[in-house]
Amino acid sequence: MRDSRVATGDKRSYFDIKWLFIIGIVAFLVVFEVFPMVYMFIKSFFPEKSFSLASYKKTYGYELNRISLRNTLVSAFGTMILGTLIAFPLAWLVGRTNLYCRKFFRGLCVMTYMVPPYVGAMAWSRLLNPNVGIVNVFIRRLFHLSMKTGPFDIYTIPGMIWVLTSFYYPYAFITISRAMEKMDPSLEEASRISGASSWTTLRTITLPMMTPSIIAGALLVFVSAASAYGIPSIIGANAKVKIPTVTTRIIDYVGLGVDGLSDAMSLAVFLMLLANLVLYISTFVVGKRKYITVSGKSTRPNTVDLGRFRVLFTVLMFVFAFIMIVLPFVTVGLTSVTKNLGKSVLEEGNFTTMHWSKIFTRKDVILSVKNSLLYAVISASFGIVVSVVMANLLERTTIKGRRIPDFLITVGSGTPSVVIALGLIMTMRGQFGLNLYNTLWIMIIAYLIKYLMMGMRTVVSAMSQIHVSLEECSRISGAGWFRTTMKITVPLIAPSIAAGWFLIFIPTFYELSMSTLLYSKDTQVIGYKLHYYWTYTSQQQASAIAFGILLFIVILNSILNKLTKGEFSI
Amino acid sequence: MKKILSVMLVLCISSVLLFAGGTSEKAAVAEETAEIVPDKTVTGNIMIYTSIYEDIVTMMDDALAEKFPNCNIEFFQGGTGNIQTKVAGEMATGKLGCDMMLVAEPAYSLELDEEGFLHKYLSPNRTNLRFDYDKDGAWYPVRVCNMVLAYNPEMYKPSDLATSYKDFAADSALKGYISMGNPLTSGTTMAAAAALSEKYGFGYFDQLGKQQVMVESGSTALAKLETGECKELMILEESVLKKREEEGSSISVIYPDDGVILIPSTVMTVEGAKSANNNIASCEKVTDWLLSEEGQRFIVKGWMHSVLKGWNSGDKIPYDSISTDDLIKKDMGLDWVRCYKQRTEIREAFEKSVSLSK
Repeated sequence: MRDSRVATGDKRSYFDIKWLFIIGIVAFLVVFEVFPMVYMFIKSFFPEKSFSLASYKKTYGYELNRISLRNTLVSAFGTMILGTLIAFPLAWLVGRTNLYCRKFFRGLCVMTYMVPPYVGAMAWSRLLNPNVGIVNVFIRRLFHLSMKTGPFDIYTIPGMIWVLTSFYYPYAFITISRAMEKMDPSLEEASRISGASSWTTLRTITLPMMTPSIIAGALLVFVSAASAYGIPSIIGANAKVKIPTVTTRIIDYVGLGVDGLSDAMSLAVFLMLLANLVLYISTFVVGKRKYITVSGKSTRPNTVDLGRFRVLFTVLMFVFAFIMIVLPFVTVGLTSVTKNLGKSVLEEGNFTTMHWSKIFTRKDVILSVKNSLLYAVISASFGIVVSVVMANLLERTTIKGRRIPDFLITVGSGTPSVVIALGLIMTMRGQFGLNLYNTLWIMIIAYLIKYLMMGMRTVVSAMSQIHVSLEECSRISGAGWFRTTMKITVPLIAPSIAAGWFLIFIPTFYELSMSTLLYSKDTQVIGYKLHYYWTYTSQQQASAIAFGILLFIVILNSILNKLTKGEFSI
Repeated sequence: MKKILSVMLVLCISSVLLFAGGTSEKAAVAEETAEIVPDKTVTGNIMIYTSIYEDIVTMMDDALAEKFPNCNIEFFQGGTGNIQTKVAGEMATGKLGCDMMLVAEPAYSLELDEEGFLHKYLSPNRTNLRFDYDKDGAWYPVRVCNMVLAYNPEMYKPSDLATSYKDFAADSALKGYISMGNPLTSGTTMAAAAALSEKYGFGYFDQLGKQQVMVESGSTALAKLETGECKELMILEESVLKKREEEGSSISVIYPDDGVILIPSTVMTVEGAKSANNNIASCEKVTDWLLSEEGQRFIVKGWMHSVLKGWNSGDKIPYDSISTDDLIKKDMGLDWVRCYKQRTEIREAFEKSVSLSK
């Protein structure tokens, strides 16, 4: 679409369609994110319709809440560090080396992203609980240890970091690996031609060039871990010294009813401030240098020869995959077909399919799956359009205030899910002119606010590594913004767009916290159903649902991968 | 372009498969609804929030459809914590999304009544109730939950375990091997905490902290009982009975020597202007039905004790349970006003003792 020029007397003015998109995005964020948050924020200072700091003093003066702040920071930071330390070498190994079974490992590496994280907590508590954890019992027997508990205890902060890492490192892995695939190999070739070893090239060329993606991935992991509820609620509550986090405290307060709402809001402010800090660090670090890795010249993938380390690294990958992925998922799968969890599934009469048949013949479960699929597709599709527009705004314009929608999206992502949902409940019931309560739209809006950043960071990161000259050529040739975006930019970053779409689709598909508050009789979703069965019904039935979710996502990803020859998938 | 179409095709096929799939489920209500006499005078819409088990809700839903064929009654089912969170958000707007509630316990009813959200109605069936109810008719007990101790006889002998709440918190052999619900998110656990602190003082919570009690949902705890990760739980009797009947589990109940904790769960009608459909007349009829023998059959089927006088044995008590009379004799007793008024104090004492213990 060409820029339209409107003659007004002797003057000509230009209308750029991208402004329509930008205004629409900002309006959406202001109405559905800013307004509810501001409303709740103000209410926290005016609990009885008069100004009062009593709520904040009470909340932050309470020792348990201060401990939860500390635990949140420690666990999120630890997860970020460990997750990034795992993600970068993994992305390099499966993306840029001649590792055996690369494609297989690549698919395996993102598998933990495909199930609700609290399923991981369930699996790891069965494996590493200090009393009768499967792995602990195995080690005690293997080494004839006399101890009655341990040696590992998953119910600790390091244990929580471990479980959080195992389910959130894929955020960093996906971001880094996509950018790595688009990286210009000539830079690394030049390094090797000059005599540098693979290790020196990795350290001095690849790593610095990947810094924006590494930071983007690390920050995604940080905010996700800080906002997590499912894993801390399971791990923390079973610890000898309980490990509350900000999100578990918020849920505790919200569960108290009206009395707890202002305390919940006071704690939520902390998480929002944390997200802002993360955003400024990211902007400050990345903004200092330019990292152009995809230029207008054609590129071909560059594979690093691991040489004599090829077998070793492949074996290490198998070990990693076994520990991180196979063990917990097999545990979940076996739980779903076990009658009595105190006995081996191989014991006579203890293998059963009754949990699967019960779950998948229930109308409410089928309805939940249909709803989840529909809402996730709508959310991901709308979200990725917004992400592309935002990436364009951030990386291709110098408009003043362009960081504002980016800031709002980041704040939304860092806001606890329950706070987003509460804010929408309190403001979208018609008292301010808009009634979306008990509709699917309130859920989709909540999902977008929470998960938009997932897709956006991936797309922004990819676009930051494309030189502007490609698009300038298009504009010089007469194409408008929309045509340039569709014909030049989108094809170049298509893998990141696909990854971004999935990064929004998957957590939306199994989302729990917001769905629990926003669902109505006809808008129940599978995440809520999973948590309901886990909490109130049966571990085995919940495991059947969890494994079903995993199978569905894996099959969908595989089909897309095959149909598009690896172009579209995570 | 081909790739985009391929992607769309896959998504469409997935959607079609899902929309075409699934078998419809008919709850086994034929036997239960055979004798129901329809009341066609009840009309309009009613939304009921409830924490009763979903299977039971499905049966009640069908039975209510038989009983009140001209009234569209819908259930919104969730855990007590979820329902209370939802209601909290709605209360802040001044209007609830439901007309009736079958959730939580009298302390919650007292709170809602104090906030002015409950409609007062004197049901004619109140004279058949064996438990206390609000004298103005703001709430009635509709089912009785029972907090007990549970263990796995395949792993441990009852003689090795605590047979009282006192020993549950004091027996050092159980340290690190006990579990209970979270009083912050579970109304029944909150009630139990209130009862135990009333009987033994807040020092009871200190002991639970020293015991390193795990705090989690009943379903999770029951799984740990099966695996042996826990030796003993504080849990609702209905959770154990459900597992025994549906799965043939051997997990067993210990009715504590120092008393069970009976927790009547209430039925409430939301005051007209603050309700979803302002259908008070129909809500009153539904309340009468729930407190009738017809309605109470579903309560018992849902592994909970009836609130009616004379329901003590056979098919008038839950599967595998003891008579309601015996339970009432063993009841520790609970001051609901204290549970409501001192809720914050009880909660903070529990948190300090259990969550902050070293």
